[in-house]
Amino acid sequence: MATHHEEELAHELKQRGLSRREILQIGARLGLSGAAIATVLAACGQAPQQPGTGAAPTIPPATEPTPASLYDPEEGNSGWPTNAVSDPTERVEISVAHAWDAVFFERQKQFDALFMQRHPNIVVKAENTPFGEYRQKYVAQAAGNALPDIMYCQFSWAQEFIKNGLFRPLDDYIAREKDFNLQDFTPQSLVSYQRDGKLWGIPYDEGPANLYYNKDIFDAAGIPYPDETWDLEKLKEVALKLTQGEGPNKIFGLGELPTLGDSLVAPPYLMPFGAQYLREPKEDECLINKPEAVAALEWWQELRDKGAVPSPADLQNVAWPAFQFGKIAMTLQGSWATPPIRAGAKFNWDIAMWPRGPKAHVTFSAGSAYMITRDSKNPDAAWIYLNEYLSTAGQSYMWGITGRGSPARLSAWPSYLNSKFAPPGAKYVEQAMRTIASHDIIDQPTGPQVTQAAGPIWDLVVAGQLSVKEACDQVFAAVDPIIAVNRA
Amino acid sequence: MDVNESGGAPLLQTPTLSAKGLCMAVQESVGRAAAKPMGKPKLGKLARREEREFYLFISLWIIGFIAFDAGPILASFAISFTNWSMMTPPNWTGLQNYQRLIADPLFYTAMWNSLYFGIGSVGLGLIVSFLLALLLNQKVLGISVFRTIFYLPSVVSGIAVAILWIMILHQDFGLINTVLSWFGIKGPGWLVQPQWAKPALILMSLWGAGGSMVIYLAGLQSVPQHLYEAASIDGAGPWMKFWHVTVPMMSPVIFYNLIVGFIASLQGFVLVLIMTNGGPANATLMFGLYIYRVAFQFFQMGYASALAWILLVVIMAITALQFLGAKYWVFYEGEAAR
Repeated sequence: MATHHEEELAHELKQRGLSRREILQIGARLGLSGAAIATVLAACGQAPQQPGTGAAPTIPPATEPTPASLYDPEEGNSGWPTNAVSDPTERVEISVAHAWDAVFFERQKQFDALFMQRHPNIVVKAENTPFGEYRQKYVAQAAGNALPDIMYCQFSWAQEFIKNGLFRPLDDYIAREKDFNLQDFTPQSLVSYQRDGKLWGIPYDEGPANLYYNKDIFDAAGIPYPDETWDLEKLKEVALKLTQGEGPNKIFGLGELPTLGDSLVAPPYLMPFGAQYLREPKEDECLINKPEAVAALEWWQELRDKGAVPSPADLQNVAWPAFQFGKIAMTLQGSWATPPIRAGAKFNWDIAMWPRGPKAHVTFSAGSAYMITRDSKNPDAAWIYLNEYLSTAGQSYMWGITGRGSPARLSAWPSYLNSKFAPPGAKYVEQAMRTIASHDIIDQPTGPQVTQAAGPIWDLVVAGQLSVKEACDQVFAAVDPIIAVNRA
Repeated sequence: MDVNESGGAPLLQTPTLSAKGLCMAVQESVGRAAAKPMGKPKLGKLARREEREFYLFISLWIIGFIAFDAGPILASFAISFTNWSMMTPPNWTGLQNYQRLIADPLFYTAMWNSLYFGIGSVGLGLIVSFLLALLLNQKVLGISVFRTIFYLPSVVSGIAVAILWIMILHQDFGLINTVLSWFGIKGPGWLVQPQWAKPALILMSLWGAGGSMVIYLAGLQSVPQHLYEAASIDGAGPWMKFWHVTVPMMSPVIFYNLIVGFIASLQGFVLVLIMTNGGPANATLMFGLYIYRVAFQFFQMGYASALAWILLVVIMAITALQFLGAKYWVFYEGEAAR
């Protein structure tokens, strides 16, 4: 939640006509931490994703806003599905809660205008809330039984919200729609929105994490770019080779290492070694002190010991993703990191698949969804909106053509791959999604407590004051009582 | 002659002065002004009108407090006996939340961090701002410019201060470590090493010393000059005058800053959230931040309310202790000498 002071700063910066990118640059020059910049940007109306913190994967943060005028409102305005549910006979209003940045919200308005043309008896009232404030705002509204008809929901909150009865199950609506085709959704995208055998939300995206690399640094070192032959040993070897220099000009081989305060840590860092953090999907057993998990984390720790990744002090001085500033050779990022990198990078870069490990080839994927709330007064009209918004045409219109993110529907991927706004190696995003993406991320209601308990312990490993083994034992001791409720 | 310890000669008649004697003389001087009310005097017409106006003006605050503050305060007390996620109706759990905090290690961590920060920042702040006020109470050319310069940091908004201090405290190129490196000292990672994070925040808290400084300055300028004149006549040097006139006369102001500063520091939240978010390793997890996390990240409103009420109790207890201790060192004008 943005505080008064943050809003004050954001207002001041906006008053001066600064773009979000300029705000980020100022923040970086001033040594503002990623978290602080995130908060200020959230107060500006755009919430950047912090790497590995479970924030909204599909909200492009830290980016030069793409002018809404770039998008033709008519481009993609076709192929809308039929609705089994009849339109209301009298005018009704539905409220839809989003967490878009101000610029993408313009595209949202384009969609809503077209929708209302097609459905003159449904008035769409869009509410846009900065991501940093979104969760608190709507939980407070839930307390007052005043939720909107439809609301955005991120994967990490979904199970908690569903468990507490905030949403309506959508299975009956889906069953009535002959064109809906649930099989069209990537299997990973549905995981966070299923509970008790029902589907409570419809995902709009599911982004896998890939290896972004700085081609200029590779060229200067004369090292071939990452490709399908790479494994994690090769990644480590090259990261160490590319680590050069000292002080402000130092080049780091890799952008980040696993932290147990990250809900996304298991698929890319532990599962390739046959290890896990929590037993998925129920997250009812902590496995982090198992020998294979400790060994995997010790394997990664070597990169920190040899200075191949930035220290917390180094990252205090840069905005997310640090990769965009040209001092990091490789980084693991979700597909949602593309817009800020595209906007900020003054070097050649590309995407490759995350390398395979000795036991498995895995990366994480995560996404967000929209739900119909328990407080909806017009659930049928809300369903008509949702059915079109998250249809193939809707996902193409919103997230494919605009190059914003990896659509949850496989049938919408061509619009993304063909978009001029998509990243250069978009095909690897799709390939990763189809072949190595895992949704075994921490997304149960206990997730925030787990990561908040483990994070401070892992800080001591980063500070060199605790061994990996000791930290894993302490994390187990801290996390096991928290997840005991999942065993019930 | 020396001041008679048993009750003494009038201050202005004492040619020489012992420390204890001067102190008593000051107290007596202050006490002379005491005029104990002999029951409530009958109010005149004008006074009654002023009284009505007083209630009229204060009524806005009272109405606002009842409408917007009193309800939530009472509600939070009731909520502290429930298990409430805000998404479903609250369940009555009795004293469970209070029992839980006894076994919660983060409760103690956050309390210790807050007390450490409170004692450190208030103690250091009191000394520095008092010394600054003494310095800026001198009659030198351009003193108003100096006062403005020293006060300016206090008007800078919290977020800007946080940004500035993140840079000042940066491990590699921060101002402090750069200066230390000139003397061959390798400065620590102020905000990234657990053992240095709290001292770094205490150091940073001095940035707001200008606010207290202005209060001290006002207090210093209201110390009656005749006390200094009397002390001079009695042969007191600068230190004696400072210790036996200035400090006793300023003690209510020091006490005020102590109370207000300590309460504010125990409730500290914004700068910690921005600068460290409680890290590293919970080294800066202050009580206010912990309440925020429990309430708005874990949505355990019952437990968060219990924590908030415990914080209130702790603040009240510490404030009561401070008031008890004040009997021994705070001297109020108009109060009889003890």
